[in-house]
Amino acid sequence: MEIIINNLRKTFGEKVAVDIPDLTIHSGELLGLVGNNGAGKSTLFRLILDLIKADTGAVYMKDPAQPPLKGESERVINVAETEAWKDWTGAFVDESFLIDYLTPDEYFQFIARLTDTSDEQLQEFLAQFQHFMADELTGQKKLIRTLSAGNKQKVGIMAAMLLRPQVLILDEPFNFLDPSSQNAIKHMLQKYNEETGATILVSSHNLQHTVDISSRIVLLENGKVIQDIDNREHQAQAILENYFEINE
Amino acid sequence: MNSYKLYKLICKNADLQEKRHPLIDKNRFMKFLMVFYWLYFAAILLFMGVVMAIGMKNSYNGVAAFHVFDGGMLYLLIIDFWLRFGLQETPAQRAQPYALLPVRRSFLMHTYLIRSGLAWGNLYWWFLLVPFGLITITVPLGWVAFFGWLLGWWLLCIANGFFYLFCRALILKHLAWTLLPAAIHGALLAIMLVPDKNPLDMPSTLLMYSFLKWDFLPFLCVGILILLLYKANFTLQMGMVHAEIGKKEDKEIKHATQFNFLNRYGKLGEYLKLEVKQRMRNKTVKMSFYVGIGFMVMFSVIMYFTDIYDNLDFMRSFICLYNYIVLGMMTLITIMCYEGNYIDGLMSRRESILQLLTAKYYFNVLLLLIPPIILLPLMIIGKMSVWMNVGYFFFTAGVIYPAFFQMAVYNNNTLPMNTKITSKQGNTTQQIFSTVIFFLPLGLERAATALLGEPWGYILLAVLGLAGIATHRLWLRNVYQRFMARRYKNMEGFRASRNS
Repeated sequence: MEIIINNLRKTFGEKVAVDIPDLTIHSGELLGLVGNNGAGKSTLFRLILDLIKADTGAVYMKDPAQPPLKGESERVINVAETEAWKDWTGAFVDESFLIDYLTPDEYFQFIARLTDTSDEQLQEFLAQFQHFMADELTGQKKLIRTLSAGNKQKVGIMAAMLLRPQVLILDEPFNFLDPSSQNAIKHMLQKYNEETGATILVSSHNLQHTVDISSRIVLLENGKVIQDIDNREHQAQAILENYFEINE
Repeated sequence: MNSYKLYKLICKNADLQEKRHPLIDKNRFMKFLMVFYWLYFAAILLFMGVVMAIGMKNSYNGVAAFHVFDGGMLYLLIIDFWLRFGLQETPAQRAQPYALLPVRRSFLMHTYLIRSGLAWGNLYWWFLLVPFGLITITVPLGWVAFFGWLLGWWLLCIANGFFYLFCRALILKHLAWTLLPAAIHGALLAIMLVPDKNPLDMPSTLLMYSFLKWDFLPFLCVGILILLLYKANFTLQMGMVHAEIGKKEDKEIKHATQFNFLNRYGKLGEYLKLEVKQRMRNKTVKMSFYVGIGFMVMFSVIMYFTDIYDNLDFMRSFICLYNYIVLGMMTLITIMCYEGNYIDGLMSRRESILQLLTAKYYFNVLLLLIPPIILLPLMIIGKMSVWMNVGYFFFTAGVIYPAFFQMAVYNNNTLPMNTKITSKQGNTTQQIFSTVIFFLPLGLERAATALLGEPWGYILLAVLGLAGIATHRLWLRNVYQRFMARRYKNMEGFRASRNS
């Protein structure tokens, strides 16, 4: 699933949060988004997910389910004009994606039913994550709001992946997680990307993890793309270390 | 920094917290409405003070007007108590930001309690009392008596405020504590209303008269009462600070009921489950439900056991309508405000808001089965007509609810579901809207029954309601489309007010 960002600009007062003239995220890419605090990573995700209004420009996705319009080779949809893209997009940005008075089981079931996932498919899905959940999420009578930050993060990530989305957007997925869970997430994302060819967007302050998993890395500063790095051979490592002055 | 400066600083921070609430800070219209609302009710109280003074002066020959007024002291204090819900937070809820600062918790608690006692809110009733007292006390008894009387009222309001804080802190621990003030006030109301003559009239009058005469003993007694309530609050709230700071709801829920019978309704069934669980598992939402039921029962009991409304058609109609709309009013006026807590998750699913609105509508229509049960005894003994119930049942479901649902388009303030019971519940626009939506149907009912006669007026209301019910899919979709057109503005508001 291709995501096309065109002339996208968002400001908060005087502050430019996002200013991207042109950026295409190709189908099947695992794109890592990095930048310092306030660089515009979360704002860009919210714009892609139509959760905030752009001042100018738009985000487009190619809709594989619809026949192309006359004179076009593919049907391209503006995410602000239709909700069709929500059927193939999964996302977790923060806790406002979680219904915290449900138990994790209930929440997964809720998402599953909304996405026409059968109970059997849901159980199969959860079985894959058994190790990741470490017996702390399912089969419990604990509400999501009583879970630790790390476990809430796990619930959010799993719920985003539950409908087997063709576009997966995760904001800071490694936050709050213990080292083994961080590793598990890395492997899960890579495996999912390889198996499904889904387009995955991940933002993170953890450069090592981002470099490890991303096929492409975009570096944001003050809302602008200042580096767009092909990372298939992990060549972004040195550039990012230099930018973030890690080894000085 | 000395203690006084620290006290002033904490008070200043508390003032800023209220002033800079996201709903008010960036919204000029809201600021205007707040001032308007404040002045509006102050003007009403002033007007009532004057009217009551003149009315009582002329109507109760032989009994001084202020004696008549003071006889109803407990009514005023009961109203004052319940109005405090939604306006006053407990000190424990405000202590959290200071947890790691070098401020003694006991000092913090004293600061908040003293601030509560000296709050301007305790003087708000003076808008009623001052004109009343000026007209009825200063002329016969002079200014000294007038100030004594005012001071007495102020001290009683302070004591009432501390009693409220005490109850409120207990309610924060467990909802069942709501029964404490409800039982005390219920008992007082029963004592005052059931017998032919109110036995508490004379003690109230004597107490206020002794204030007026500046007798030392009643001031001492009320002073001791305030100190006792202060001490009780201090002890209770100190314990609450620890609980509030280390707040973690760690225990498992007892029953994770699945409501599997709703599975047959597909996605709609899932949203219906969400509605039920939202009410069952969140203190604030649960509380509004219980309060609604409590008021329904209270009004019905008063009407059943007393004859005070027997000759008042308007009050009969009022109580019947109130019973039908109160549950909807308590949750639908603030429709979507609880969902503000997880709005981003909802908005990332296709048409989830439409499904949610539909589920909310069905759920609230189902709740309309409760009022006829509560009002059944009144129908059996003939104090309320069956037709009135039929009319209001359908009118609420088909006309009033669609009006409530319009708020889904405009509400954009997130309300806490589980942490701050009844604090900052709804904004001024919502409160004004609820007032309008309440009195318009009453006017319509009065006009319809006056024009068409008793059963036909209610049949007209029912027919109007049935039309709204029959077209619910249409107007729900319209609300959804208008919500989506305003979604960015609303989501921004929900985000800004979340956790504030």
